[in-house]
Order: sequence, then C-alpha cells, then structure tokens
Amino acid sequence: MPISSAVVLAAGEGARLRPLTKHRPKPMLPAATKPILEHVFDALVDADITEITVVVGYGRTHVQSHFGSTYRGASIDYVVQDKQLGSGHALLEAEPEVSGPQLVLNGDQLVEQRLIEDVHEAHDSDSIATLGLVRDGDIANYGGVIFEDDENISEIVERPHDDRSYHLNAGVYAFESEIFDYLRGPEPQFNEYSLVDGIANAIAADETVRGVTSDGFWYDATYPWDLLEVTETLLGNTDGVESTVSTDAQIHESATIVEPVVISTDCVIGPGSVVGPNVALGENVTVGANAVVENSVVDADTRIGANATLIDGVTGHGVQIGAGSTMVGGPGDVRVGDRIHENERLGAVLADRVRDGGGVTYAPGTVVGSDAVITAGTAVSGTVDDETEVQ
Amino acid sequence: MCGIVGYVGTSNGVDAVDVVLDGLSSLEYRGYDSAGLAVPTPSVRVHKTEGELSALENTVPRDELEGALTGIGHTRWSTHGPPSDVNAHPHRDEADRVAVVHNGIIENYQRLRDDLVDAGITFQSETDTEVVPQLIGRYLDRGAAPEEAFRLAIDQLEGSYAIAAVFDGSETVYAARQDSPLVVGLGETGTYLASDVPAFVEHTDRVCYLEDGDFVRLTADDAVVTDAEGNSVDRPIETVAWDPEDAEKSGYDHYMLKEIHEQPKALRQCLRGRIDDLDGAVDLEDLADLDHEGPVQFVACGTSYHAALFGAERLREAGVRAQAFLASEYASDRVPIDDETLVVGVTQSGETADTLRALREAARAGATTLAVTNTVASSAARECDHTLYIRAGPEIGVAATKTFASQQLALALLAFTLGDGPTREELEALRDIPGQVRTVLETTDARAVAEEYVDADAYFFIGRGYHYPVALEGALKMKEITYRHAEGFAAGELKHGPLALVTEDTPVFAVVTGDGETARKTIGNVKEVEARDAPVVAITDGESDVTRYADHVLEIPAVGDLGGSVLANVQLQLVAYWVANLLGRSIDKPRNLAKSVTVE
Repeated sequence: MPISSAVVLAAGEGARLRPLTKHRPKPMLPAATKPILEHVFDALVDADITEITVVVGYGRTHVQSHFGSTYRGASIDYVVQDKQLGSGHALLEAEPEVSGPQLVLNGDQLVEQRLIEDVHEAHDSDSIATLGLVRDGDIANYGGVIFEDDENISEIVERPHDDRSYHLNAGVYAFESEIFDYLRGPEPQFNEYSLVDGIANAIAADETVRGVTSDGFWYDATYPWDLLEVTETLLGNTDGVESTVSTDAQIHESATIVEPVVISTDCVIGPGSVVGPNVALGENVTVGANAVVENSVVDADTRIGANATLIDGVTGHGVQIGAGSTMVGGPGDVRVGDRIHENERLGAVLADRVRDGGGVTYAPGTVVGSDAVITAGTAVSGTVDDETEVQ
Repeated sequence: MCGIVGYVGTSNGVDAVDVVLDGLSSLEYRGYDSAGLAVPTPSVRVHKTEGELSALENTVPRDELEGALTGIGHTRWSTHGPPSDVNAHPHRDEADRVAVVHNGIIENYQRLRDDLVDAGITFQSETDTEVVPQLIGRYLDRGAAPEEAFRLAIDQLEGSYAIAAVFDGSETVYAARQDSPLVVGLGETGTYLASDVPAFVEHTDRVCYLEDGDFVRLTADDAVVTDAEGNSVDRPIETVAWDPEDAEKSGYDHYMLKEIHEQPKALRQCLRGRIDDLDGAVDLEDLADLDHEGPVQFVACGTSYHAALFGAERLREAGVRAQAFLASEYASDRVPIDDETLVVGVTQSGETADTLRALREAARAGATTLAVTNTVASSAARECDHTLYIRAGPEIGVAATKTFASQQLALALLAFTLGDGPTREELEALRDIPGQVRTVLETTDARAVAEEYVDADAYFFIGRGYHYPVALEGALKMKEITYRHAEGFAAGELKHGPLALVTEDTPVFAVVTGDGETARKTIGNVKEVEARDAPVVAITDGESDVTRYADHVLEIPAVGDLGGSVLANVQLQLVAYWVANLLGRSIDKPRNLAKSVTVE
C-alpha cells in the first residue's frame, strides 16, 4: 500500500541560526524567499502525499498562520510539542493523530522530491523503518549508518567520530507504526528522546531497518550565512527555484535586474538601483534609488535606503537599512557563541527589525541582533546583541 | 476556493437537503459568497443564490424537497469578479437532465464552449463549469447512458477539478477528481462526498481519499472507485480522528485567535495593488469612477461603526467634512442629506440590516452611496453606487478582528483618495503596517495582562483622536466574548462622570502614542485614574512617559497615531481573547450574538 501521509518535525528553534530565529523557528527561515518548510511540503505534495501532520512548538503561530489547514490540496494538521525533548519525543506527540505507515521528515532541511520517493519506493512493511541516505556530507555533524548488507542497516550513530564507512542519514524516514514502541524505550538519554535512539532500539531488538541511498538533493542550513548558499543553489539548479519577478512588484524603468533573482509580491525597486544576481527579496521589500543589492537574502518588509550597498547580506523581517549604508561583502570572520568561523562569505546578518540611521559601514562577518539600533555614520563589526543601541 | 458536497442516503437516512446544507456550512471556511444545491429526484431541481449560505437556506423550499435521498451542493468565495445567481453552481444542461458542481479551473473551457455554441447550444452563465453539463447533455443526446456521458465529458477536460453530477430521476452521484481535493465518506445510512472531511465528519469517520484521475459512483450503500478506463481501483478506507470544530482552525484553539494572527496577511491583501509607491499615489481601482467633492457621512453598526469613527477622523484630517453615524439612529436623527453628500456604509458582511436601511434612506434623499465591505456582491455592494472591498478573507469568529483592521486601512486609503493625497512618508507608513502587526503578535504580553486582571470588576478603555474608536472597540471586544462589564470612553470624558466607577478593581487601558499634545492630555487623564488607585495598562509606543504611571505596558512599534491605532487595537483584541479564554467562554460563538445581523 503506498504511503499517503507524512509527519514533519518543525518544533525546534534551530539555535545555531540565531539571531534570525529569535522570533520564528528555523523551518520558517527563507530559502529563495519561501520558508524552508514550504519547500519540504512541496516535495511531499509532489511525491503524492495528501495528509501532512506537522509537529510545531517554538514560534508555532508563524507556521500555522502561514500554511493554514491545507497546502496544495494536502491536509495539514498541527500537533504541539510544548517542550523540546528531542526528535523522537516530537514524533511521539504525533502518535495519537496518525495511523498506519508514515513518512517522517525534518521540517528544517531542504530535501528533493526524489529523495522522498526513493524512501517511499524502497520501503515495505517487512521493515519497521527505511532511512533515506546520501553518500556525501558532513557526517561528523549529523548521523551515519553502517550497512550489514546491501539493504539492511546494522548500526546507526549520531555524530560518528571513527573512520568507518558511513552513509549520511538525511532525516527522511518511512516508519511502520510499531516504531513508536521503540521511541519510548528503553531509557531516554539525557532526558531526551531522539529518533536515532529509537531506531537503534529497533535494530537492537532485531527488527529490520533498511537504508536506501539516494542521489536526491539534501541540504541543511546550519548557520545564518548558509541561507546565501541555499538561495544561490536553488536559483542555479534546474530543479530548484525559477528566477521570478512578481507581477505585483513595482520596478522602476531605470532599475536593473540581474537574474537570477526572486522578487516577491508588493516589492518596490527604485530608480537606478541594481538588484541581483542571486538575490531573494521577500514580500513588500523596498530597494531605494540607486541602491545595489547583490548575492543577498532580504526578508519581508525590509527597507533598503537610497544609495545603500548590500553584498552577501542576510536580513530578517522589517529591517531598515538607511541611505548610503554599505555592506561590502565577505569573506569575513564570524563569531557564533564562543566559536569563530573564519573566512565565511558573509557581508552581514541583520536580524528582525534592525534599524540603521544611514551611512553605516558593516565589516564583513558582522552579526546584528534583532531590534538593535545603529546610529548614522557608525562602523559596525563583530557581534551586536539584540535590542542594543550602537553609537 | 470553493467547496463541494454530495450525498446519497438510504430511505431511513438523513434528509439529503440537511446533509448538503450542513456540509456546506462546514465548508464555509472555503468561502461563502454564493451557494447552491441540486436534487435529482423525482426530477432535477436546482436552487442557488449569491450571498452567504443563509441566503440559500432561505431560498430552498424545504417542504417541496422533503424526503430527498440524493443531493449535491456548492459554496464559493471570490475576492475578484462578481458572483451572481446565474453564475452560482450547480449548472445544468439545456434539457435539465443533469446538474453539476465543480471546484477548480477548466483551462480549455473556451474551446469546448465554442464547439458547443457552434453545435447550437445556448449557455446560461459565464462560468467555465457550464461546459461540463452541456457536454454531458450532448453525449446523452447521442444515446450515452449517464455514467458513460459523464466519463466522456470529463475526458474532454483539461485543468483542475473536483466535479460531482446528478442525473434526472437517478439516486446516484457521479464524481471525478483531478488536482482538486475530493474525499468519500462511508456511513451507515448513506454515502458522502466532499472537498474536505469536515463536511460529513458528523455522520461518519470512515473515509476514502480519491486520487487524481479517479472516478467514483456513489450509491446509498457503496462508493465504487474506477480509473479513466473504467477499471476498478482499490482506495483504502481510513478512519479519521477529526474534531469537526478543529479542522479549519489551523492548530489554533479558536477562529478568533487564528483570525487575529491572520491580520498581517489580511492587511497585505487590503493594500495590494492600491499603493503606487513609485508615483507616490493611492490608486483605488474599485473607485475609479467616484469623483466626489462634498461632505461624507458614514453609517455603520458595532465594530464597523468604530471603524467608521476612525475613517471620519482620517477624512477630516485629509480636509474632507466627514461624520460617522450609528446606522440604526441615522433615520431618527434626521441627519441632513443632499445630493452633494457621499454616504459610506461600512459593513463586513454587506448584509447588516440597519446599515442597508440607512444606505437606502440616503439614496432616496439623492446622496451618492458607497459600500465598504468584505463580501463580494453582498446586498450593500449591489445596492450602492460604489463599492470598496476590504479583502480580509472569510471571518468565522463572531467577534470581528481582522476585518476591523482591514476596514481601518481601507478607510485610510479612501481618505487619501477623497481628500489630500499622501506624502511619501504616509505611503511608506501604510506599507509598514502589516509587518508591524506581525511584530506586535510576536512580542505581545497581552496574555500576562489578562491573567493579572481576569477577576476584575470591570474594564475601562480610554483614548483620544484616532485612539478613541480603539478604546470603544477594545471595550466591545471585551464585552462580546468575556460577558464582563467593559466601557470605552474618550479620555477627556472620564472626569465628566465615569470616573465615579473607577476603583482599584477596575483596570483602565489607556492608548497613548507619540509625545504630542494629544498624548500629554491623555496622560493627564491617566493620572486622574492612578490617583483613584485603579490599575493602569498603557498601550504605548514608549515615546511619552506614560509608562511611569502604568502598572503594565503593552508595547507597540512607534509609528504615529494612525498606524498606532491599528497596532494598539491588536493588543486589545488579544487581551479580550485571553481573558475570555481564562474564563472558559465560548469565544467563537458568544451567547446571544450572530456574525451578521440581518434584522433591524
């Protein structure tokens, strides 16, 4: 029987993407203007899934208000995970709402329809679980599996650090409903129920767990600047996102649009400005006269002032970049928590509602927290906390 | 978006007309600006009308249709293009042998229609759907049996559809699906069909989801699914765990909270295409042929009246003589009207009897009339000389929330059209509002304030200028859904009487934005309250020092008085919601109240 329903896990914040996740969860961050979760839903609908159950938690009103109760003909039901006690716990929250075999996916990672279909096709009810795998990737930061033979998995490890031959677990699963018993026990680790532990429990109990290696696209944005690469990849890929300018956008006749770009509804592009390539403008963004925007992800309601320059920039909602402010582009060193990421291609990250007074210079790699205010003419670098004033 | 339903019952089953009407009402979230139904026995009868489902309920001759076993129905919501009786579904062939409802778009309908017209068939409507019954009729003419005719017709279609059809004298429903949802329900005493499960979940939880390319034949005790070639297809029967109330609330506990959170989207829709930012102008296509110089009178009731007060003030600021009247008092107030006057009726549903009556009075006296409404082709829209749509989308909760915000913005746009045009800053400020509402929703402390004051004796709301209507609306929301005593006052009026009611158990919500003269005066009134030991909740952008006198602050972005009144109102909606929620009230359907009041 083909599987027609899926559970999507979208309850976590995605803390490494702070400060962009201050008000909304990672699944709602934009990938070529659409929320990551919407790409996941698209892939599911394209793979003939008609019932989607979404586990929501952190910032859940953003998810609920964006998608409502149906998406492209598929029904959407919401299950709330109040406490983030791990991916296995999140799936357990959905248990009362679902029946029969399910596809299970992460709502905060981009997956191609093909990967979903490969798992779908490979799964049969003799196996309690089928895992979608990709060959390459940063296994040490995700999970890996070891095959027993061509199909069956003998071991699943989170963040493996040995040099055995692992396949990367892409977080796309088909599960029979018996998996719920294994998710519950025997004992949670560190008070968290992880999906991987549940699968390991099933393997330990001699259940059949299969893996299918797919060529389908899989991508996880880990840090804020990864959103630039996601957008560029999607715009550059024939299976990604088409370069589009909304018919509801207003473009001045003297503005220059350098494709590929996505310019959303209600945007206003002023005279003499240059937008693109690899620029994603969310809805209702203004690009002022003679401004230059290149290789940037600009989220909804952001205002870019006249003569401003934005290269390799990432903005949240409602950011105000004043006239003549400059973001010259990466590479630069970025500090996240205690760790410094060297030579990342990042002009700056300006989180939700950052306001600059104009004539501000952003050093490459600058990260400004939400609601921060930057006085006109300031040079900013490093990390600026939420709600601070920079003079 | 449309919704369709179908039903075939056994002779001891439920009345088919009831099933169809109840089903349509569960699909109201899919829209409700026209609706219709058809029963096939003893002969095909179709009843359809524009307007809400209640209009259809009033039209359907229940006694004539009593005992019907089979029926199909349709409900529709459009934000563009006129719904009308003739365009409403179901549609029929020329000889009334078949009736069809359809959700979706038939892309090749023009070619099909041209062919049928060439063959001598006369069409009744402008819809793409009508080609379906007409095609079926053609195949019937050529001797095809009903099911065969249905299949041959569907085979001609390109596009997306969920289609259901009934044939003269037959207790069978035929349906097909391509790219539009369709689900079958299998009950004890009948078989159901709908765009979505809530349409029949009260009768059965055993469902079968159709897939693209599927055909289904519904009889009282069976649903047979086949593919395009007629081969039987096995679709699994599933059991749904579905609270019929929950289906459309998108994970929110109440429609009201869902609709409060929909405001950024509703406001974007209200503004879309109406601001020409590059030219610095407001462009209301709806009102292209309204050229008005004279005075403006608003007529409205309830929440819409508060929007009208706001609109009148905005118009006066734009240099237009404007006043707002309660529609129910308009006639008895003997308001002078002449042919220089523009009378603007503000009504969400477009069916509010008091407002319609005031508009008719005004038209009789020679005034030009304008409807500001959410409902395409409602009575107000049909009867007035002009219509401005607020485009908020369907609102289910009885307490108006997103439609008030959309009325505010639509009236702000109207003021720029009738009075002084906007400055660039004013246009930018309008475009900023949807995002700022989202900010309020992300950062609000309304729930904590509600928890603090859930046991208060009464709630008072004060404001000046643009914030006076907000104070009235804040109090009305509180009354409607909490059943607690609440009053809104012009801040300056407090000391002329109501202050006697103020005690330490009556929180006063004060709306204060900016730091100008208006703000300072309201702060003076806040001090009067504070001196009586009443708790003060300031809804403010923090520009003034009102927070010094406040026990709680509900913050909004600093955007001036006009935008501030939209944002402050969102905070007050949330306070009322959370108080009602803590009190366990029936928030979406408060006692004694109806969504649209169609009696005077």
